[in-house]
Order: sequence, then structure tokens, then C-alpha cells
Amino acid sequence: MQEFSLLLNPTITSFKNRVQAQTKPQRLRVYFLVLLGLAFWVGIFIIFYRILVYFQSTEYVGDILIKKLLSMIFLTFFSFLVFSNIITAFSTYFLSDDLNLIVASPVSLSSIYFSRFVETVINSSWMVLGFGLPVFLAYGVVHNSSIFYYIYLILLLFLFLLIPAGLGIILTMFLVQVFPARRTQDVLFLLSIFFIAAIYLLFRFLQPEKLVDPESFNSLMEYFAALRTPDSTFLPSYWATESLFPVLRGESGDSIFYFLLIFSSGLASMVVGNWVSNWIYYSGWTKAQEAKKARITQMGFFDRTVNFITSPFHSSFKAIMSKDIKTFFRDTTQWSQLLLLGALVVVYLYNFSVLPLDRSPIPSFFLQNIFSFLNLGLAGFVLSALAVRFVFPAVSLEGKAYWLVKTSPISTHRMLWSKFWTSLLPILVLSEFLIILSNTFLKVTDFMMILTTVTIFFMSFGIVGLGVGIGAIYPRFQAENVAKIATGFGGIVYMIICMGFIGAVVILEANPVYIIFMAQLRKMAIPPLKWTWIIFSFCLAISLNIMAFYLPMKLGIKKLETMEV
Amino acid sequence: MIKTINLTKKFGKLTAVDNLNLEVKSGELFGFLGPNGAGKTTTFKLIVGLLQPTSGTVTIGGHDILKDPINAKSIIGFIPDQPFIYPKLSGKEFLRFICGLYGLDHQDGEKRIPELLELFELSEWGNELVESYSHGMRQRLVMASALIHKPKVIVIDEPMVGLDPRGAKMVKEIFRGMAREGVSIFMSTHTLEVAEQMCDRIGIIQNGRLIAVGTISELRQLSGIEGKHLESIFLKLTGGEKMKEIIKVLQS
Repeated sequence: MQEFSLLLNPTITSFKNRVQAQTKPQRLRVYFLVLLGLAFWVGIFIIFYRILVYFQSTEYVGDILIKKLLSMIFLTFFSFLVFSNIITAFSTYFLSDDLNLIVASPVSLSSIYFSRFVETVINSSWMVLGFGLPVFLAYGVVHNSSIFYYIYLILLLFLFLLIPAGLGIILTMFLVQVFPARRTQDVLFLLSIFFIAAIYLLFRFLQPEKLVDPESFNSLMEYFAALRTPDSTFLPSYWATESLFPVLRGESGDSIFYFLLIFSSGLASMVVGNWVSNWIYYSGWTKAQEAKKARITQMGFFDRTVNFITSPFHSSFKAIMSKDIKTFFRDTTQWSQLLLLGALVVVYLYNFSVLPLDRSPIPSFFLQNIFSFLNLGLAGFVLSALAVRFVFPAVSLEGKAYWLVKTSPISTHRMLWSKFWTSLLPILVLSEFLIILSNTFLKVTDFMMILTTVTIFFMSFGIVGLGVGIGAIYPRFQAENVAKIATGFGGIVYMIICMGFIGAVVILEANPVYIIFMAQLRKMAIPPLKWTWIIFSFCLAISLNIMAFYLPMKLGIKKLETMEV
Repeated sequence: MIKTINLTKKFGKLTAVDNLNLEVKSGELFGFLGPNGAGKTTTFKLIVGLLQPTSGTVTIGGHDILKDPINAKSIIGFIPDQPFIYPKLSGKEFLRFICGLYGLDHQDGEKRIPELLELFELSEWGNELVESYSHGMRQRLVMASALIHKPKVIVIDEPMVGLDPRGAKMVKEIFRGMAREGVSIFMSTHTLEVAEQMCDRIGIIQNGRLIAVGTISELRQLSGIEGKHLESIFLKLTGGEKMKEIIKVLQS
């Protein structure tokens, strides 16, 4: 026990020191992030509250829907947690830098196992737990549950978390015996993202909105069949649902039985994990040290393509662009982001293809053009979500090797602009693809097609300029992976500014377009004063675009020039 | 070639480099010694433009590193003690990237890359990703990259860290040869034997101040220790004599 607490001590003390050593701006950042998290938290609560109230008001099937949703939530949590624990366990048990010191010291394997178990559970589960709580809170509030529900919930969740953690760690111990630790962690990370993307796509294609519209089904039987998703009684998510649901409604049911199942399985997974650890951890640890294997990287076609793309540029531009493209495609964590991108784009376009425009009572051409405008804003949002992942980290990805660029005779101005052009091309292609395809689905007028195509063209410059520029103002050269860069303070600042920019451009164009449409609809001429307003709005939108890409780039260059490495 | 005038760098209340004045001439191999935390790495970072001085100036070949950074940096080759480089590039690709940064002609670059890989015994590893290199191999690759544009000034922080005896010998020979061809070399090391064997002049820094500078014999005179090795001179000048007493206590 003494060894166990001693091994956990550096993690706790480091965290405490980090909190205490915060400067005023850092503290302000934390407050800002907490506030933002809180807003998100409240948002989740409100959404679930409204869904549950709606379900409750539905006769006959309301309770079934509520329970189904709870079981789906637990199942999603459980599968996500198993993956998350496997990925975390690779780091905490095999790849962490301090393990050399700990494994070499005279402490028992069980102490290492249990102390790392706590770290793994905290690292892998805090986010799921944090954003899961408003959901469970909404359940409690809607059902007017007593205080006992909340106490029971905390206890149940705590024990529930132990099961995927134990399973994940045991699986990791076996995986390390067969595959190289670092490479497997990358591949599993990719798989987990693929898994999330698949669930997302599946959920979207199942059209859950139909469930609350029984008329869209041919018969009642078909509707009930649709409600019946597979439930396995052997899954801890099923036990958790069966244990929590009666308590939620103030009944007893089989709560205790399922609670005991979770309790015993949670503890058992820890104990079995300890046995497995004592048996194979040391050999796995040894293998993880040996697994740094070289890899041949001769890819003629890829190299030639990169050379072709970068050929019109100056040699230093070319050097940075070529390096950025190659490192991007060789980093498996970037591939996973690409998978998410694919899923996002497919769902985005799918939504437009299934819009029942012809069934609407509003004149179709009017509605289509309104949608096309909304589409512009939404496409901007999708693009900024992509840019925060791919464009914003452009500077930070230089990482600890930034000294190379800083000590070379290439100006910061040139370095940053090379990053701008590297990012602009793919964003531009994607933005035009999104807009043209979704507009084709919407069958918009030629005028709207041209207007939105031109607008998104200029908007892409703004989105990329803001991304590279703000990324340079808030660089994170020490970040371990690309996902961490995007989720930091700078990433949030970028998203907020980017949304403001997209919103402003859409508003500046929407009003003049409305005037033109109404004039067309009423077959009336537009008075000169309104023409002046229309021209003024478009000019303002253009200036906003120029400002959005030029100003942050200028500030970013200034920041990097004065920054010390 | 390298000249610092009243160079000072403060981090809050701490003065890491205090009014440093030194000059390294063409073809000179200058050793920069000092205890841990004396300000060596900060001085190096100021010279290559990674840090901005609080006051004072640095000129490289007559170019002010702050006012004319592009020209100053184009003649420097910098080798830090921690060779962080892009792990997802191969050795050759990394060198090509450096050629691009220093504006080298494509043909010149393609000729220099195999030569330097050969010189630093990395030819077999040229197509492997840097992430698979050992610490010593990365250090040699960074050295190759620092020489690719034929710099007039080389700044090296701890050149022998991570190198095996064969690698260390090779590096010593390469740098001595370059100094003979007129390249100024400014290096720090904790291996006093290396400094004694390689350097024309040595500067000793302590608490950010340059406390002694000169050839080995000049330093001997300054410390008042005749005929002894650099280690004794260094310990005397930096107050390390106490160390000997501590060692005696530990051994007793």
C-alpha cells in the first residue's frame, strides 16, 4: 500500500505544482475553458432534458424509448471506454518516460500495476464521465428522482468504470506480447476513430428522427421492431441499465442483483488484471523497449507527386511545403483525423440529398435558395471544424524541431506563408466540392450557385488565414500529438473568431440577396438606394474576407519573430 | 567572425548572461566551458538568434543577428545538444529540407547529401525514417545538416554527447579540418580533455560572466597552476576545489 501511494505521488504532486505555478494569464485561460466547458455541459443537459420530456409525453412507448436511450448511452460509453483504456494503457504501462526509473526501482509488479491502474482510469474516463453526468442529471430531473438516485449513480458509475479499465489493460498486456507497442497504439487509435466514425454514420443512416414519427412506418409492428435494437444480457452496459432504471423511477426491481454483478465484475477485472500483470508485464515491457524498428520509406510515386505540387514555388517555400506534406501523410494520428473528415462530409451531403423539399408548402425555389444560403454558413462551419484540426496546428507541428527553421536564413514571413499555401489548396478544393454538390442536390438557381461558389472561394482564404495566423499566435511546440494542439486555448479562440467571421459574411450577403429575390418574386425593379446598400454590403463582405486572411497572418508573423525558443 | 558586445540576457530576476564580450576569429576553434547552469546554452541561443538579448549585440561575419538575421544566419551552422528533428522524414529528405531552407541549388544539394552521409557514416540509413535513428545517429545527421551549406561559422553545444568513441574521434577530426580551412568554430563541452586537445582558445563562464579567456598556457598563468591539466585549472577558476574535499569525505 505504501509503495502504491508512493508511485502515485509524482503524478498528484506534478498536477498540484502545475496548478499552483500558473501565471495570471494561464489562470484566466483556465477560467475561460471552465466556463466554456460549463456552457457545453449545460447544453447537453438541456438537449437531453427536452428529449426525455418529449419521450415521457409519448403514450405507450415513452418508457421504452427512455430505457432504450439509457441502454444505448451505457453501451456507447462502455465500448468507447474499452478502446480509450487500451490506448491509455499503452502509454501508462509501456511507453511513459518515467517507467525506466520505476521498473528499475525495487517495487513490486503489483504496486506498479495498481498505481498505473488508477492513472489509466482517470486519464481514459474523466471526459466520458464529465460529459455523461449532465445526461444522467437530466434523467434524474425528468423523473423527479430522490437524492438516493444520485448517490447510487455515483457509486454505480465508479464501479462501472473499473470493468472497461480492467479489460482494456488486460488486452493491452497481451497485445504488447505480439505487436510493437508504439505502432500498435497508433493503429488502435486509428481503429477507435474509425469505430466512432462508423457509429456516427450508422446512426445517421438509421434516421433516428423517424422513431418519433410512427406515421413513417407501414405498421405498428414494424415500428416496434425498429425499437428493438440488440441487447446482450452479458454486457456490463445492460447490467448498468437494468440496475439504474428502477432506482430512477423509485422502484426496487432487480437493481441489487445487477449492482452486485457490476461490483463483483469491477473488482474481479482488477484482480485478474493483477494476475495477468504479474505473469506477463515484465516480458511485455522488455518487448516494448526492443520494438523501435526502422522502416524503408522509398515511395517514388508519392515523392514525384509532392515534387510536382510544390514545383512552382521558391526553393525554401518548396522545402517547407514538401516537408509538411510528407510528415502529414506519414503520421497515423493524422489519418484518423482524415477518417473523421470523410464521415463528416458524407453525412453533410447525405442530409442535403434527403431533404423533402417537394413536400413543403412554401414555394420550392424560394426554399431551395434559402437552404443554399444556410448551406453556405454550414459549409463554413464544417470547413472551420476541419481547419481547426488540419490548418490551425500547422505551426505547432514544427514541434521541438522548430529551432531548425528559426536558426535558418528563411524569414518567418516566408515560412508562415508557405504554410498558408500548403493548407489553402485542399481546403479550397473541398469547400468548392461541398458547395457545388450540395447546391446541385438543392437544385438552386444559377445566381445562387455562382454567388455561393464565389463566396466560399474567398471565405476559404479567410478560414485558412485565420487558422495559420492564430495557430502562430498560440503555438504549442511541446504538444505530444496533433489532437491536443487543436483542443487547446488557441483552438477555441480560432473556432470562436472563425464562427464570427462566417456568420458576419453570411449576414452581410443574406440581406441583399433577400432584396433581389423579393424583387424577382414580385417582378419589381430595385430602387437605387437599395442598390447602393447591396453594393455596400458586398464590398463590406469582401473587405472582411481580406481582413480575415491578412490580419491574423501579420499578427502571427510578428508573434513568431519575437518569440524565444 | 563571431563578436558579442556587452551581451546580456535576463529571465525575470535571473541574469543568465551578464555583459559578455568575446570574439572568435576566422579559423579559430574556441571552447566555451562552465559549470551546469553557467549560461553556455543561453549564450549559444543568443548567438544563433533563438533568443533575443536583453541588451548588447551579436554580429556574425559583420551582420547583426537582430538587424540582419537572414545574412547572419546564412553563414552559421548550429548543432544543439538535443538534436530534435522531424521524426517522419528520412535522413536524405531531412537534408533536402535543409538545402531548401538555406536556398542551395538543387544539383549542389543532391551532390552534397551523399557526400555528407558518407562522411558521417550514415549512407546505409539515408532512406530510413529519422524516428528509427539512435541518439548518436541523430546527432551525426544534425552535424551533416549544419555543414551542408558550407557555413563560415559553426556553433556546437556539446558535440560529443551521445557519440561513441569512433564517432567522437571522427567529429574531432572533421572540425579541426574545417578550422584549418578558415571556419570559425564556437563549441561548448564538459569533456575537458576534448577542449584541451581541440581548442585554440578557451573561455570560462560562471554565473553568466566570462571569468577567464585565453590559450591553455594563458589560463595556467591566470590560475597560478603551472604544468597542470585543464581540469585543475577549471576547478580552480570555477571554485570547484571544494569538490575534491567532498570526494575525500565520501571516500572516508
